[in-house]
Amino acid sequence: MAAAQSGMNTTSLQAEAVLEGLENPWDMALLDDGTMQFTEKCKGLSVRMPDGTVNALYGVGETEGYPANGSDLFCEGQAGMMGVAFDPDFADNRRIYVYSTSNMSDPHTNRLMRFTLNEDFTEVSDRTDIVDDVPYKMEASDHPFGGPGAHNGGRVRFGPDGALWLTTGDNHNEEIPQSPTMMGSKVLRMDTDGNAHPDNNPPEGFDQRTYTYGHRNVQGLAFHPETGAAITAEHGPWHSDEITVLENGGNAGWDPRDNMAGRGDCPDGYCGYMPNQNEGMNRYERASFMPMTDFETYPDAMPPVWENNGWSQGTSSAAFLEGEQWGDWENAMVVGIMGIGFGGTPIGQRIDVIEFTEDGTEVLDVTEMTLPMEPGRFRSVVLGPEGSLYTAIDEGTIYKLTPGGS
Amino acid sequence: MITRYALIAAMVLSGGAAWAESHASESEVDAPQVAELTAEDVDMDAAGKIFQRSCRGCHGNKAQGAASYPKLSDKEPQYLADMLARYRDGERIGPNSILMIQNAKDLSDEDITNLSV
Repeated sequence: MAAAQSGMNTTSLQAEAVLEGLENPWDMALLDDGTMQFTEKCKGLSVRMPDGTVNALYGVGETEGYPANGSDLFCEGQAGMMGVAFDPDFADNRRIYVYSTSNMSDPHTNRLMRFTLNEDFTEVSDRTDIVDDVPYKMEASDHPFGGPGAHNGGRVRFGPDGALWLTTGDNHNEEIPQSPTMMGSKVLRMDTDGNAHPDNNPPEGFDQRTYTYGHRNVQGLAFHPETGAAITAEHGPWHSDEITVLENGGNAGWDPRDNMAGRGDCPDGYCGYMPNQNEGMNRYERASFMPMTDFETYPDAMPPVWENNGWSQGTSSAAFLEGEQWGDWENAMVVGIMGIGFGGTPIGQRIDVIEFTEDGTEVLDVTEMTLPMEPGRFRSVVLGPEGSLYTAIDEGTIYKLTPGGS
Repeated sequence: MITRYALIAAMVLSGGAAWAESHASESEVDAPQVAELTAEDVDMDAAGKIFQRSCRGCHGNKAQGAASYPKLSDKEPQYLADMLARYRDGERIGPNSILMIQNAKDLSDEDITNLSV
């Protein structure tokens, strides 16, 4: 078919700037008619209607222009309003889900909020914080990007099983990744009230919401269209971005504590950027000192299926390309990479297309998407209802990428 | 090559930092004096290359700022030159300083001038 053939030709993608001039758009979620919720990290939640009009819904803190505000919500560094999702039964229950940093608790936390969105898509109500205990980094520390608010994870997705999933991060806190009870560095699987999924199988003593643990800062989560497996894309420290096919109860093997695994003291007790955290050095030497997945300490850790050639370039979000319009890329995963310039690392802003083996357990091939527009900091990738790929860049644009055309 | 681009050269910037502009006035770093220069006097091609390689990945393709990386396109040239010089000297100013120190450490005075105007 012509569409499939042109989909195979990576130079034939078309780009449409769906929204421009946004302030750090972080995530989107779409309905079948193209209605699109989106978040802006320091501003709030809005919805773009199919006719292109945009309704502001819920503001961060005192941000003006929103019909309602979460006075407890705030942004700081990497933290703020992040992931968003529609309930799979949205048509009936009008429920939506948004993850944001909040100062309601002290120390502050990241919260997953549930709202009811009215029929006109103009107001939200019934805020219910179904997760209120994802840790937040309160104080600056002696690390690269060491300001408050670091590493919150932030992706919110519904799986094919209808469960609600949330990814979290390590806060530059050495205890969180392997902690059984602190809900950072985890992938949570829950119902829409925030209760643990009954089939979650974490080790004894763990919070039962835990699907996997021992992550660093998961910003990408997607589900294989055929196997249904949850797959994360994760931002590495100064090395080793990772894609991991998750195993229920699995340990991703990130443990940045000092005075263990052959390491001595580290700045503020967190070895996550060591050795030589402030300067460039060989990425494989770094990986050997502070592995993203520490198989020596955790031999049963979930193995990554992709490590970005050992680089850390800001791997952020993930989605699967579904539909024959994508040609050879149908059922491949795309990963948005934000780019970073440090210590000789190529910036690497791009969208990678990750082809999996038929059983979905290994990476067969990786292709860089030839983009019909200038690259940017690809924060979010989401498949739209008509099979186009939507992507948000931190610079303030949400694009719609459609295969085919001239 | 000296070029005469009409665009505001401040778009083509490395470095800088948005927090506390007052910091700039406190600086005693010997930054290149660029305030009197214009885009006509500097090597925009050279600046563009550095920008593409070292700056845009964080600060955005138009230096508009992105994520936790500040907007540069609205900063005064002297402020930018001053900040770059301070980073070049290894001074920490804000949580992302390590990125800036690494990117600024090999810049010449001429590079800083080109980038800042």
